[in-house]
Amino acid sequence: MAGAVVIASALLTGGCKTTVNTVENAQPSAQKEMVADKRVITDASLARKVYIVGINEARNDSGVLQIQLEVVNQTRSRQRFTYHVQWFDATGMQVSSTTGAILPCVIEGKETRFLSAVAPHPACKDFRVQFMESTR
Amino acid sequence: MKRYLFPVALLALAPLVWTGCSSGGARRIDAGGRESITTVGQVDIQDFVAAAEASVGKLLLSGALDKVPKPPAILAVSLVRNQTGQQFDTDLLTKKIRVKLNTSGKALTTTTVGLDGVAEDPLAKQLQGEQQKTGVTPDFTLSGKIIETRARAGDVRQSTFSFQLSLTDRRGLALWEGEEEITKQGKRPSVGF
Repeated sequence: MAGAVVIASALLTGGCKTTVNTVENAQPSAQKEMVADKRVITDASLARKVYIVGINEARNDSGVLQIQLEVVNQTRSRQRFTYHVQWFDATGMQVSSTTGAILPCVIEGKETRFLSAVAPHPACKDFRVQFMESTR
Repeated sequence: MKRYLFPVALLALAPLVWTGCSSGGARRIDAGGRESITTVGQVDIQDFVAAAEASVGKLLLSGALDKVPKPPAILAVSLVRNQTGQQFDTDLLTKKIRVKLNTSGKALTTTTVGLDGVAEDPLAKQLQGEQQKTGVTPDFTLSGKIIETRARAGDVRQSTFSFQLSLTDRRGLALWEGEEEITKQGKRPSVGF
């Protein structure tokens, strides 16, 4: 009886633990401009669920800065998290963004995702991204 | 006696710890923040915030606003239709977009040019007429639609809100078009994302 319960629960939880398989070209032609980053980890569990592989940035012709974060879920189960991007000008002052959105995101087990953000003003030089566990 | 000291101290401290995390009383929270209530069948404030943020980001990145002879571009807000079953003022979306575009330095919005000649700021329009000034001709108009799609499986409900926007130039060509979709699923409203 106990064995049946264990098998049944394994089957039930197995439905949620599907992970992501990927394929891509072996020699990508894109040249990413990677950013040297500084990380402050206060939640080790979250850092494993949303591990930051790297950040690259680019400016368009009109000088608008765009950043792209590559994150990977190192666990085998689907995870929910939120992130928030802050922007700073050349003097280090935070550029006020009336709609500084806290964005929810879902990432599957072992999935790699790209999170993009666009600076609200061409004068933005620096950024900081905050990650938090989903509230539910 | 010593034996009971630890559990008693724990019981005394527990309410203090719990009250730090939750309270049923009214309090201020960050608008659109992590404590906001998320509903399934309605567009919540955080949905407007996210849609505006994503739309403006894509619009700025497209460079469409830079294609004017005299920057910054002059933008007039046309009609943004609310096609959802919920009643709300579409300014909840458009104002956020306008403020962000204004802050970006890439576009200025006119408050004297509006659909059917209705100015957002009638006094500014009146003063403009009195001063015999030639009216501003917008470089672009912004129009759009908010659409809702619903689905249900048992007692689980799902709503998708599509925020569709178009930036049209003087030739009548849509120089930029954007669509943001927000899908929410659940049985009942809840707090947080």
